[in-house]
Parts: sequence; structure tokens; C-alpha cells
Amino acid sequence: MALRELKVCLLGDTGVGKSSIVWRFVEDSFDPNINPTIGASFMTKTVQYQNELHKFLIWDTAGQERFRALAPMYYRGSAAAIIVYDITKEETFSTLKNWVKELRQHGPPNIVVAIAGNKCDLNDVREVMEKDAKDYADSIHAIFVETSAKNAININELFIEISRRIPLTDTNPSSSGKGFKLRRQPSVTKRSCC
Amino acid sequence: MSVQEQDQDQGGDLSAGLRSLCKGEAPVPGGCLPLLPWDRFSAWLHCVCVVGFDLELGQAVEVIYPQHSKLTDKEKTSICYLSFPDSNSGCLGDTQFCFRFRQSSSRKFSLHCLLDQFDRDLPVYLKKDSAYYYGYVYFRQVQDKTLKRGYFQKSLVLISKLPYIHFFHTLLGQIAPEYFEKNEPFLEAACSDVDRWPPPVPGKTLILPIMGVLIKLRIPTCHDKPGTTQIIQSTHQMGMQISIALPTVHEVDLFRCFCPVLFHIQMLWELVLLGEPLVVMAPSPCESSETVLALVSCISPLKYCSDFRPYFTIHDSEFKEYTTRTQAPPSVILGVTNPFFAKTLQHWPHIIRIGDIKLSGEVPKQVKVKKLKNLKTLDSKPGVYTSYKPYLNRDEEIIKQLQKGVQQKRPAEAQSIILRRYFLELTQSFIIPLERYVASLMPLQKSISPLKSPPQLKQFSQEDFMKTLEKAGPQLTSRLKGDWIGLYRHFLKSVNFDGWFRPRRKEMTQKLEALHLEALCNEDLLFWSQNHTEVETVDLVLKLKNKLLQTDREHLPVNADTMEKLQMHIDSIILALPEDLQGILLKTGTT
Repeated sequence: MALRELKVCLLGDTGVGKSSIVWRFVEDSFDPNINPTIGASFMTKTVQYQNELHKFLIWDTAGQERFRALAPMYYRGSAAAIIVYDITKEETFSTLKNWVKELRQHGPPNIVVAIAGNKCDLNDVREVMEKDAKDYADSIHAIFVETSAKNAININELFIEISRRIPLTDTNPSSSGKGFKLRRQPSVTKRSCC
Repeated sequence: MSVQEQDQDQGGDLSAGLRSLCKGEAPVPGGCLPLLPWDRFSAWLHCVCVVGFDLELGQAVEVIYPQHSKLTDKEKTSICYLSFPDSNSGCLGDTQFCFRFRQSSSRKFSLHCLLDQFDRDLPVYLKKDSAYYYGYVYFRQVQDKTLKRGYFQKSLVLISKLPYIHFFHTLLGQIAPEYFEKNEPFLEAACSDVDRWPPPVPGKTLILPIMGVLIKLRIPTCHDKPGTTQIIQSTHQMGMQISIALPTVHEVDLFRCFCPVLFHIQMLWELVLLGEPLVVMAPSPCESSETVLALVSCISPLKYCSDFRPYFTIHDSEFKEYTTRTQAPPSVILGVTNPFFAKTLQHWPHIIRIGDIKLSGEVPKQVKVKKLKNLKTLDSKPGVYTSYKPYLNRDEEIIKQLQKGVQQKRPAEAQSIILRRYFLELTQSFIIPLERYVASLMPLQKSISPLKSPPQLKQFSQEDFMKTLEKAGPQLTSRLKGDWIGLYRHFLKSVNFDGWFRPRRKEMTQKLEALHLEALCNEDLLFWSQNHTEVETVDLVLKLKNKLLQTDREHLPVNADTMEKLQMHIDSIILALPEDLQGILLKTGTT
């Protein structure tokens, strides 16, 4: 069976639960009093997808503003990016849209984008409607799920979906139509970088 | 073990490490104390410094990370001067080099015992030297009109005890350029990455995440066969490197470094082997440090035991000590760039002058060794200046082979492998007769008698050793002719011989102790004690208890079975003694 190493990064505002999602996925545990990440932390998990082993090299980035400029190092070379927002905080969804813009401009061309609306266990204090988020995700051909790292909802599904959308071989990434083709979006006005 | 399996092993380890770090447990084998924040960092680095240029103060340490790292003022001054190229060498753009400096006060940290344990499994030439630190430098100098000085000049410096030159060079190449763009948060993030690394355990494939990239490497062990390297693979994704695999952590590009002095490599090998004072005068610290490190490593697997300074400046705290004319030049290798040294070190017996090292590996035509009196000014031509007459005849084969490689455009890595193998065979041919002779100093097994003290090792006798050379000398493995005897005589007086022989003697003495212990265990000690007086029996018990303590303290090569057996002997002898004595003996020297 072939083993593929897939770099995956998590992006999103501080406190939305990026590290908790990774912990749930890798360790199947949850700690409500987790410390803010510094820079980024790294974990791996290998899963089977069809006749391949996918070893996810997960870079869980810090959401704090002072680390914002470091993000390119983590999405550089990534096969997928998981952008996380908190369904109970409207502003984290705006931050998410900024991340999508940044990935469009500077991210790898065929990166698979997944949007995770975390903390779906807190439906009572919801601020972002599931439909709004789903429509937005569809408009950019991104994976969309609402997750709860606390109650282990949709965490594995999120990564399975990523495996499914990863182009079949590294050597010919354009052959699969499942990738997230940021550069081909007609709505994108080209901007030169820097 | 296949690449994949190793890889997965490590992945597992890494997350196990992370898990236990978060839960505050000690995950590493033999860990004496629970891990604290920065303990993992300390296993790799002492600290990270940023050295800048202040118009009023000159070179100054701007940042030390982690902030609690201890450096004395003297050490800070050394780091400041050693982190910048000397004023005369241009070095526009980015330059990488390394230096080594003396630690000015002893310090301990909580991971000490753990690192000592790793140290035991390392090859001798990679064992850390408690008195020295390495500084790995990435220096950037670019024009910047917005600055008063007109130039941006800054160094990112990693301070470490570990001699993993190639690894730290690669690491700095990865992080330094980004640091200069992104400043403090970058440094904080990078150091936090290092603080999550698995410890530098010899023999394991380690995966070290750093700023979005994984560095895969393996630290050699003393059990590896010399001259073999383990290849692990790099991974690319989306045309970007997501992991870098290092074929070596410590080796330098031998061929490139020796290229300017290719005709003299064998003589240089002799000079290094004999611990002769050597100075490398180079145009920049990059070349001086590479050449010094190449020289030190050319006698591998022998350890070069004297001091060496890949980059040495006139501000160094040992400047006076090393350059004084009142004593003979010390047994050290110095790399210098300041033209002032051409004068200061004029009296040194062996001087290597190198020009710019060319990447293409052009071999110089100059063959002759130059006379020392010709070296007076800084514009002296590249070459080796010495009046030394090599003991061995020159091996023309290797020169021809390497020259042919240059003509055929053989890759530099392949040239380096050829050169490294040549040095390895030469060193091994030289050292095998010594190994064989020293092994014969071990007393015969039958001379070990359990109830007497273990026999002594025989003394090393130069004359006896020389006699063995006739039949079992280097001629068995090397076709080189010349005055091998003279070379050995000279070597036996050198620091390198002492540094080689002393640990060997210790090892053999310990082996003797271990064999003696085993012999004791196989004796019916209870029967013996029944036929001896009470005083003699008590004396035996005390001696045995002492042995157990010693075994533990000195990590004697004894298996657990033997230890257990001995403990049982002790217990049964004690039980056969009167009760009052039992009480006393059970209390003394608890094992």
C-alpha cells in the first residue's frame, strides 16, 4: 500500500477551536482549558483511504494576530487547508473570509479548502447560520461541515472528505477535477502580490 | 528496517512526546526529572541570539531567546565578535559559518543526566565537550539607505553544545531568511517548535518540525559501521518542499574544503593526527570555519582532542594565550580571516592559506609546499606554508582519482565520499595495529581469581608496540610506504593518542571488573564463608556490597542476572551470620 504524506494546515481566528479539532482527530480527546498555540504545533495521523495510506502532517497555526505574518510558511506546500470559525461568533466568520482571500492570492494553486464551523454543540448561542456558511462554501467549492471537537461531531468526516478530494497522484495534480481551483474563479480580480 | 517503518515509528513517538509534554510527564527513557518548559529546547540549543550593529556600541546582542538563558558577559562579548565577519572581508549578502568558544562558567540544567546518557551512545568524535559551545551563524549584510550606517547587518546565532554542523547549517538556512523578514514573533514560534522536538537520541530517525517544514535526520551511534550513511527521503508536495531529509548531521563537504590544498591532503592528515599547531587563513569566516572543521574530521573515527576554532578573532578571550611568542605554539587549529594574524602567527610552524573556495572545484596546479619565510603579507599566495617533512610517501593514486573526477565533472558529493573513504582507510590502517596491541594488554581470563582483587592491565610499552609492527603493522591494510614507525613515535607523544588511549584503558579496566564480578558470582560464596572466620566473612560481605555500588555508579558492563545473583549471595551469607551482625550488615551500604 502506498503511503502519501499530506501537509495540512489549520487557519482561523484565535479561540475558535483549531487545536481542539486536531486533538480530537489525533488523540480522540478534549481539554477545555487548552493554552493558546504559539507559532504552530505539529501532529501527524495516518489514515487509510481506499488503497492508499494518507499520513496527515498537520500544522495547527496560532490564531493570535501577532503570528498572522507567519501563516504563509504553514500553507506553503499544503495539500489542504482547514479554515475554522466559531458558530457562536459572527466576527470569526469574517476572519475566515479573509483567510480564503489570502489563500487565493498566495496559497498553492490546487489546495483543497475545508471550512469547519466549530462549537456546533452550542446551538443556543449561535450567531452564524449553517445555511449562510454552506452557501458561501459552495460558492468557493470548499468542503463544509459543522463540527464539535468537544462532542466529537464530524471531526473524522472532515478529514475523510479531505482525503476524498486530494488529487490521486502528486505527479499529476491537475488531472482530478476535485481540487479547489482558486485561480479559476471568474469573480477573482487578479492582484499582484506585495 | 525500511524507510517507511522508521518514519512511522517516529511519528508515533513524536505525538507521544507531545502528549506527555502537555500532561507534564517525563516521556523519555531514563528521564531523571519531569520535563519542564524549555527542557526539550535545552537538549538541542542553549539559546538563540540576535547580534546587530549599534552605531555607538558596535556589535551588540540585541535579543536572547529564551529570555532566561544564562550567558556571562564574557560569553556575550565572545558571541558578539564571533558572529560578525572581520571588517576586511566583504561578505555582502548572506553568509553562514560556525565558531566555537570556551564556556566561562559551569552550569547544569535539569536534563543533564539524560543528555549524558545519549552521549554514551555517540561515536567519540560527536561526544559533546563540556567546556565549549558551538555558535552557528547566519549573517546578513545588505545595503539599506534608510539606515544611518547605510547597511543592514545582523546575525542570527544558534548556541549549542552539539557538534551537528550540517544539521544546524540546514536549520539556519531554513529559518534565518524568514526571521529577517518577520522578526520577534517568528523567533518565538521557532523556539517553541524546538521546545517540542524529541530529544537527540543517537540511532533513531528523528522528525523535527520547524516553521512549516519537517527536518528528518538520524544521529549516528558508536555502533554504526564507520563510513556508512543512512539515506532517508525528502518529500515534495505541490512543487514545494514539505520535508528535508539530511544524509548526515555532522559531515562537511570534504572535497570542496580540501580542494584548494588537494596536493597536500595527506600531509595535512599527518599534521592533524599529530596535533600540530595549524592555522587556516581564509578570506571569510565561511571558508575558515569549513576548512577547520574538515581538518578536524579528516582523522575520523579518531577524535581530534585539542582545541580548534573554526573562526578565531583578535577579540577572543584566548587570543593572548594562543598567540604568545614566549611559548611554543599550542596544539590547536585556528581559522582566521583578519590579515593581522599573518603577522601575529608568523612564528607558527604550519599555515594554510586559502583563497576563495570555488564551487566548481577547480584544482590548483601548484604542487610544492611553500617556505614559511615567504608568508609575510596578507597578499601571499594560497597554499600550505610549512617546513614539515611528511613521514609517509604521498599517495598519488587518490590525487589522480580526484583530478579525473574533476575532469569528468563527477558530482562534489561523490568526490567527497571518495575523499572521506580515503581518509577513513588511512586512519584505520594507522589505528588497527594500536588497537590490536592495546587489546593484548588485557590479562588472560584464567588469571582472574574470584577471591583476589582483579588483575591489573599491563602497561603500555612503546618498544613492545613497535615490535608488533614488523608482523602486524599498517602494511597489512595500506600500500603506503614511508616512515610509519616515526609517525607512531610522534603520535604516541600527542594529545590525540592520550585522548584515544585513556577511554580505552578505562573501558578495559571496567571490563576486567565485570569479569571479576562474574567469576565471583559463580563461586559458592556461602560455602567459602562457612570455612572462614566471622571477621573474614564480614569483610567479604562489605566488599561485595561495595562492588554492587561501584557497578551501578560506573555503569560497568555487567548484566542484570549477575547483579541479581550477587545480591542473592550476599543475602544468604548474611542470613547465615549471628543475628546482631545480620542487623548491622543489612543496614550498611544499602544497594
